Amino acid sequence: MAISQELLDILACPKCKGDIYLNETKDGLICDRCKLLYEIKDDIPIMLIDEAKPIEK
Amino acid sequence: MKCLVTGAAGFIGSHLSEYLIKKACKVVGIDNFMDYYPRSIKEANIACLRKNLNFEFIEGSLLEVDLLRLLNGVDVIFHQSAQAGVRASWGQNFKIYSDNNILATQMLLEACKQSPVEKFVYASSSSVYGDTKDLPMNESSMPCPVSPYGVSKLAAENLCCLYYKNFGIPTVSLRYFTVYGARQRPDMAFHRFFRWALEDKPLKVYGDGEQSRDFTHVDDIVEANWLAFEKAMPGEVFNIGGGSRVTLNEVIELMKELLGRELKVHYQGTQKGDVRHTLANMTKAGEKVGYKPKVSIRDGLKTEYEWVKKLVSGRVVE
Repeated sequence: MAISQELLDILACPKCKGDIYLNETKDGLICDRCKLLYEIKDDIPIMLIDEAKPIEK
Repeated sequence: MKCLVTGAAGFIGSHLSEYLIKKACKVVGIDNFMDYYPRSIKEANIACLRKNLNFEFIEGSLLEVDLLRLLNGVDVIFHQSAQAGVRASWGQNFKIYSDNNILATQMLLEACKQSPVEKFVYASSSSVYGDTKDLPMNESSMPCPVSPYGVSKLAAENLCCLYYKNFGIPTVSLRYFTVYGARQRPDMAFHRFFRWALEDKPLKVYGDGEQSRDFTHVDDIVEANWLAFEKAMPGEVFNIGGGSRVTLNEVIELMKELLGRELKVHYQGTQKGDVRHTLANMTKAGEKVGYKPKVSIRDGLKTEYEWVKKLVSGRVVE
């Protein structure tokens, strides 16, 4: 079960407070500005800056 | 109705979230899984909740998330999250307490200025009273905490009152008196006692065991939160106790009855920050919001014992 749109709507990047979006594999949330991926584990979005993974682009 | 429960994966937050779901509320839970005790215990606390479509959960910190977005559509906040632990709050650890207990509360209150809620129920603590000679403890007594933890809970409670008086945020603070029951934190006395008893180890008691507490079952705490939302006048503070004052030695006697055998007890030195006695005067909570504790210490201990038994045998996911 993926996370709901309702939940996605209330989430933002904890670092810059900007918009985030679901990645293609639907297992993470991406902040383009900070170039960070917030993982979704067992359908729980992990919105902690320390746990975020840098995205190489 | 949509509720935000902070500390939703914790002992009280998870019980409260379940209660709210039963009341047909939508619940957004947030918890930062602080490493004060094992993550697996908290994950088990919300295992059932997560199957419910009316429960959404975020792993995050109030200090980091966008609180305005989080509060979008929220009618009531039940602010249960805090860094727990009286004895651990001394020394360099205090920053963890000031950040998570004071600053996080202030940030949430600030956010409510822009995103109004119907009620903001704050989980305060009997530790704000400290070692007062006035028993039972009255809401109007001068608070005088004896631990940094108590100081942090009192500071946040004062902030709640200030934000009501200055900005009309409809806060209500509930001073919980020693909460116990299933899912009690592993550092708390009953949990430790049952675990040691099940492992056939002696029970370590700080002091002479004659210290007393107004032990309050988590079911009564949850009910009090609902009553605070429904009936309390904003800006108020209420004592929420269990209705009886019991010494640790009396608790151990009840545990012996429950287990049907003798238990070894080792008495140790007292700890800095521990108070000698607590007892809540609950006249105000009774009169103003209709709070009346329902769970006796004997019945309540049984619920916790059954849960610790499951935990020890690895069958904790309910």
